[in-house]
Amino acid sequence: MKKLCKNGFMLGLALLLVFVLGACTAKPNSSNEKSDGKQVLKLNNGAEPTSFNPPIGFDAQSWNALNNLMEGLTRLGKDHEPHPASAEKWDVSADGKTYTFHIRKDAKWDNGDDLTAGDFEYAWKQLLNPSTGSPAAFLGYLIEGGEAYNMKKGSADAVQVKAVDDKTLKVTLTAPQSYFLNMISNPAFFPVNQKVAEKNPKWYANAKTFVGNGPFKLASWKHDSNMVFKKSTTYWDKKSVKLDEVDWAMVNDTNTEYQMYKTGELDSASVPPDLANQLFKEGKVKVDPQAGTYFFSMNVKMKPFDNAKIRKAFALAVDNKQIVDYVVKQKNDPAYGFVSPGFKDPSGEDFRSHNGNLYKYDPSEAKKLLAEGMKEEGYKTLPPITLTYNTTDINKAVAEAVQEMYKKNLGVSVKLANMEWNVYGVDQKKGKFQFSRGSFLADYGDPINFLENFITGMPMNSMQWSNKEYDQLIKQAKNEKDDAKRYALMYQAEKLLIKEMPLFPVYFYNQSELQNSKVKGIVRHPVGYMELKWATKSN
Amino acid sequence: MLRFVLNRFLAMILTLWVIATLTFLLMHAIPGSPFNNLNGKVLSDAAVKNLEAHYHIDQPLPVQYLIYLKSIATFTYGPSIKQPAQTVNDLLGRGFPVSFELGMWALVVAVLTGVVLGIFAALKHNGLIDYLAMTLAVLGISIPNFVLATLLIQEFAVNLHLLPAGTWQGLAYMIMPIIALATGPMAIIARLIRSSMLEVLTQDYIRTAQAKGLPPFIIVMKHALKNALLPVVTVLGTLAASILTGTFVIEKIFAIPGMGKYFVDSINSRDYPVIMGTTMFYSALLIFMLFLVDLAYGWLDPRIKQSKEGSK
Repeated sequence: MKKLCKNGFMLGLALLLVFVLGACTAKPNSSNEKSDGKQVLKLNNGAEPTSFNPPIGFDAQSWNALNNLMEGLTRLGKDHEPHPASAEKWDVSADGKTYTFHIRKDAKWDNGDDLTAGDFEYAWKQLLNPSTGSPAAFLGYLIEGGEAYNMKKGSADAVQVKAVDDKTLKVTLTAPQSYFLNMISNPAFFPVNQKVAEKNPKWYANAKTFVGNGPFKLASWKHDSNMVFKKSTTYWDKKSVKLDEVDWAMVNDTNTEYQMYKTGELDSASVPPDLANQLFKEGKVKVDPQAGTYFFSMNVKMKPFDNAKIRKAFALAVDNKQIVDYVVKQKNDPAYGFVSPGFKDPSGEDFRSHNGNLYKYDPSEAKKLLAEGMKEEGYKTLPPITLTYNTTDINKAVAEAVQEMYKKNLGVSVKLANMEWNVYGVDQKKGKFQFSRGSFLADYGDPINFLENFITGMPMNSMQWSNKEYDQLIKQAKNEKDDAKRYALMYQAEKLLIKEMPLFPVYFYNQSELQNSKVKGIVRHPVGYMELKWATKSN
Repeated sequence: MLRFVLNRFLAMILTLWVIATLTFLLMHAIPGSPFNNLNGKVLSDAAVKNLEAHYHIDQPLPVQYLIYLKSIATFTYGPSIKQPAQTVNDLLGRGFPVSFELGMWALVVAVLTGVVLGIFAALKHNGLIDYLAMTLAVLGISIPNFVLATLLIQEFAVNLHLLPAGTWQGLAYMIMPIIALATGPMAIIARLIRSSMLEVLTQDYIRTAQAKGLPPFIIVMKHALKNALLPVVTVLGTLAASILTGTFVIEKIFAIPGMGKYFVDSINSRDYPVIMGTTMFYSALLIFMLFLVDLAYGWLDPRIKQSKEGSK
């Protein structure tokens, strides 16, 4: 028996040895390996991009990357305003509805083809084609004939995008809207190389077949694993591009992402929720504004929120500042209006500071309004109220804080309910909730994008609110050519929205990340996608 | 033998059909829509309609069921809803080899270390080594693999800078995931081996072998272990099917491009083609593994084979 044990022991030892040897011979492929003076930025995309087909990948994980591989007629600058990009210049007709874009002579695809106006016409019609099934198609409704085509009521030919010649593109809009130039910087409006796409309809699926026209070229793409971007040699403004290479990992776990950031395997990482408090407190987090609003929506078709005073009472009883400072704790700004800061009117004044705080936290006024509202409706006690939110840690914490504030400030007990996101979204759109959490992130850079959501029957209008005056104001604004008048209409509309209070805002979103101090010049727009064109990394 | 295999094969097809039907019913019973989770955007009804038509989910359910059965029979699951540029076959085709490689290594490590630990524990029954081995086994079973994974990363990548924290680019990247994945099964196997070894070692034929003067190593490895392996083989079938098709948590933590994430993500995003692709793939593999286990029984213990054939 003794000998037997010895043999077994030796076997175990051998195995252990194999393990240890394995561990020792393996050399980690960590930071600063490429030290030949090249600027290599290491980023995390979080997950596999949904699609690099411009009309399809309607999300940050596709468009943050795609924004650097391609370029539209305009590109957002460091000032977050649209600047000439593929288009060198443009003329606008007197009625403000027709744009004629002149595409740069030296604008090229990275396979050497000339970038033509036809490529834009082809791409934009793809976007609007109902059989493409593009979730971003609504962005193209501003183009004359676009909505009809997408709704299967018109034809591709009726869409008013025409390549006049190889380098001239003429677009007619349904209404003179100055934000059109901002909108077309969006990846949904990127061109598609028609020659390539007609030969290979799945040109966007792999690095080999992908053709772009942006500051970087897609050098390799291992699906679900990593991508490598190399500085483009055909880009018209290649002298502005400083990075030689961008390596994208696809790490979906925020803790691992953070650990890779700590070991130098990544130059930038999102803030892991468990460490957020500490990292924010230590000032290690870089915060950029983001155009979007966290809000609560009150269904005006359901009791007791059919009464405007009761709605107002519920809004005034919530201390947004306290929620931002002690619950969310991510340096957000409390919101007392719906449109987030960052939109300048023609006089140069910010939309938010012009309209200012449209209400304030006022528990005693809230109590008074509630009493008045209950009297109007003849309530002795309020009907039961349920606040529904989609399940996330932050939503839960905010909802609990709000629940506590109602108990303290109004003496009202609100029930909480939560749901998985997909179910929640479908039910909310159908207007099934009495009181629910909402969020809005802007798709293009104009206040109208915030405000148009609450006209009658819009999918975001889960509060079932319908106000003729409001609908009229938005309609007018959408048809107004003069920007000063347009802004005046929008100012009025927001005031009306907050006065009627079918919703109340809580805070404005921001973008927070950790970033290697050697990296400079990554631009994160409040509306738009990550911009690496001007980024640098010192060695 | 051939008849046995053929019978089993028919039963497999039937089982797969039942699973396919159940999956289809359950999948459509989940409330929610695949077109809601697009970056938190609320889509207009028109956009949703266009998308539904694009993926044929505007058709009545019986029609969808037929399309679905056809796609299973022909192995063409069509494009994923979440990643429209990729078909389900693309996703499985690139995810499975990665999961398989990781899983295979983990299995090898788990079986080898588990068996060795188990044998030691049994031979040194109630001795120090037994207690140590079993403490290790209890720890291995009770520490969830995601905790172990995070601890490993913190220690070996962040603190010691020995290994890379994540992604999948070569040998060094494999060590921590393999350990994290193998520890649990290793512990289970060690305990199983220990208890069945203890039983086998007291049996008469072992004493006979000892009396014959066979070297102890041969007795343990050839005579005792073969019998003691039966319970391990039983668990190994299901274990292999689940480990080889990837584990959601481990792959997520180490950013490994395997197929584990599709099992969970597809359900969260109601990606119907991917749900059915992963379920059918997993079921087929599981059924096949169980079939192999049955074959292995016959080899390990001829009595089982005889009784099976006798009953037919």
